[in-house]
Amino acid sequence: MRNKKRRAVVTGMGVICAVGRTRAEFLSSLQQGRRGIREITLFDCTGYASHVAAQIDSYDPLDFFDKRELRRLSRVDQFVLIAAEEALADAALVLNPRDGAHIGVCLGAGAGGMRSAEIYHRQLLNGKRPKPSLLLPFVPSYATDRVAERYHLEGPRTTITTACSSSASSVAYAAELIRWGEADVMACGGGEALSELTFGGFCSLKIVDPFPCRPFDARRQGLSLGEGAAVLILEERERALERGATIYGEMLGYSLGGEAFHITAPEETGKEEARIIREALHDAGVKPYEVDYINAHGTGTILNDQVESLAIKEVWGQDAYRLPVSSTKSMIGHCLGAAGGLEAAASLLAMHHGFIPPTAGFEQGDEICDLDYVPQAREAEIEITLSNSFAFGGNCTALIFGREVLRS
Amino acid sequence: MEAVVITGVGVISPLGSGKEEFWQGLIKGREGCAEITAFDTAPFRSRKGAVVTGFHPKAFLPPLKIRRLDRASQFTIAAARMALEDADLAIGKDVSAERLGIILGSGFCGVVNSEAFHRGQVMQGPSDLNPILFPNTVPNAAASNCSIELGIKGPNSTVVQSFCTAEAALLFACQQLLAHRADAIITGGVDELSALLYRGWNELRLIAWDAGEGERSAPYDLKRNGFIPGEGAGVVVIERDTDARRRKARIYAKIRGLATASGAGHPEEKVARTITGALKRGGIETIDFIDGAGNSSPLVDAAEAQGLRLALPDCYRDIPLSSFKSMLGEGIASGGMRIAADLLILERGVIPQTINYAHPDPFCLLNVVQESLQAPIETILHTGISLDGTYMAVILGRANGVS
Repeated sequence: MRNKKRRAVVTGMGVICAVGRTRAEFLSSLQQGRRGIREITLFDCTGYASHVAAQIDSYDPLDFFDKRELRRLSRVDQFVLIAAEEALADAALVLNPRDGAHIGVCLGAGAGGMRSAEIYHRQLLNGKRPKPSLLLPFVPSYATDRVAERYHLEGPRTTITTACSSSASSVAYAAELIRWGEADVMACGGGEALSELTFGGFCSLKIVDPFPCRPFDARRQGLSLGEGAAVLILEERERALERGATIYGEMLGYSLGGEAFHITAPEETGKEEARIIREALHDAGVKPYEVDYINAHGTGTILNDQVESLAIKEVWGQDAYRLPVSSTKSMIGHCLGAAGGLEAAASLLAMHHGFIPPTAGFEQGDEICDLDYVPQAREAEIEITLSNSFAFGGNCTALIFGREVLRS
Repeated sequence: MEAVVITGVGVISPLGSGKEEFWQGLIKGREGCAEITAFDTAPFRSRKGAVVTGFHPKAFLPPLKIRRLDRASQFTIAAARMALEDADLAIGKDVSAERLGIILGSGFCGVVNSEAFHRGQVMQGPSDLNPILFPNTVPNAAASNCSIELGIKGPNSTVVQSFCTAEAALLFACQQLLAHRADAIITGGVDELSALLYRGWNELRLIAWDAGEGERSAPYDLKRNGFIPGEGAGVVVIERDTDARRRKARIYAKIRGLATASGAGHPEEKVARTITGALKRGGIETIDFIDGAGNSSPLVDAAEAQGLRLALPDCYRDIPLSSFKSMLGEGIASGGMRIAADLLILERGVIPQTINYAHPDPFCLLNVVQESLQAPIETILHTGISLDGTYMAVILGRANGVS
């Protein structure tokens, strides 16, 4: 039964993305506004309108896994396992078999093992006989199962697959499971690996910027894809306090709603996104003016950035102009299934270290995108953040985090 | 704790569309598995699938939409419409759009579109790719298209958890209701069979094949050698008990226990843990029928039988048990269609049989129902098994039974 006293806090984080192989590297990139969007080398993108993405470069899986393991792991599974390892170590959880029963795994997935499956499919179409093991990681819950298996985590297990809001929703559901006493600790977040299919897919929709993406900027032409993983360790607050764990922040509330509008386009007035943001604020017991920073969905597409700005203005009115809003996708690209998790991690790091990550490369907004998009990182005391994730199908997730020290 | 009840059901299955056709198929032991004609199975060891036939989307969708939406979305929209109608729940009247949610298990939905899109990339190259296909490659396309078509604005999510996909969605949905994030939620599972998926399962040697007994889905049978891939949608409407009673809804079942276990190795122990956990949660002592997860694969069925033995040592050989996967085949979200069957069993007091059961297996000594039988049913145990390490047990009780 839900116990109002059971609250979920974040006690560990692991990150791998184009601007950082570790949480510490990611933090320093966020503070410096480092952009990881470069020429794609993972596959041939001749003929596509863009050739850039936030790819994880000079990555050698053998630095992390042995050959036998790698036969059963697609690129995304590797990223997720690397982030999980760091997150569990960061949380300094003593993993004994008794604990394992209370620790669950709930991850978000995007294209999942698509990179392996498309290699299989291409070989097949070219008349070759591909290795069947390439299809093993095809089920989106594969990475979730690998994390649970490797660390003997025997609590509730679920994989959320709502495209670009998957891993944000995984954080929400993980917090719910902790509140209800279904688990004491949850590993949540998610992963994404670049694939030809998703890259070609977004190109076919004509929403990929040929240049590195420029969220909220008047010159923006679309998104840049990215890849990586973020794993957050959510823990029941009393337990975390008792063992003296580092607390990055508390999951105060969330909303996951549907716009019921269109499979790819957001409802254009922003009223639906605003409704979902309001529901999340209400759930968290937070007034709009208490929010200090918004980590925007901010993909860099013409429509998303307009509608999101409208939604923020709808909720905050004139106060919207005083509220820092930034898109970390300007640095890490749009990591789809990993996006919500990476952005939750960015929000928590911002709160914990007292700074606002920038929308790197932002110069000039437009008539609708006229908020404070934070072109350079700045120092700031942040008590409460909102992280937005909007997906294909109108799946919107809003997460509210609060700084621990002020909310005891 | 507040109780969650089920008030509506919608099914699109290989046995027929709508609860009545589905039910007739179940109790008459219709074979849902047949030779696949939708794609070429010549390169494979197996040829059969439990494919949905005779589904007429026109009853549920305008012609233009039928052309634009993939099968998984069509199944979902049709099943959800039926379930809402069955629950007598009108959006905007009995429940507001914002308080109605959809949390669905997706069994490889979108793979058909991924396959078609990627084929275009490989065969034709980057120019002229079909922009209609790509947005429907995502696993949440079915639930999201359904939310768009029906105007559902509440909690919206899609879940995949290997062979426990529908049960995992049910748990998520129940939690959203108990947290009062919605007043009614459409939940369950939808699977769509595709050539690439069939190929994958064939390559991984998971599909039943003809080793002398014919190619059959034969759960708990000594000579079983794999499952038969299937497709379909089974969705239900869940509400909090108090809300359902207030609006005088017909209540099929109360969710009396829901437990999950996970971990590698010793699947029978995990199965037993979920059953014991679900019984304990519901304070339940007797089970009248077991809706088994046995899917005709050697390991799953044996793990289930051993798990039942551990959890219910005194009665596991007496309680009638049936696996509808003998008729419906297996999809990772087929738990949705099975829950639909469970509700009809509670309502009608008839247990459908397990077909193709001919040779008892000494490792599966269970009371497998071989001819549909009448029996008053108050409680049903529904198991979910994924050897990837997720196990679930759901106990459904008749609403006017012991509470």
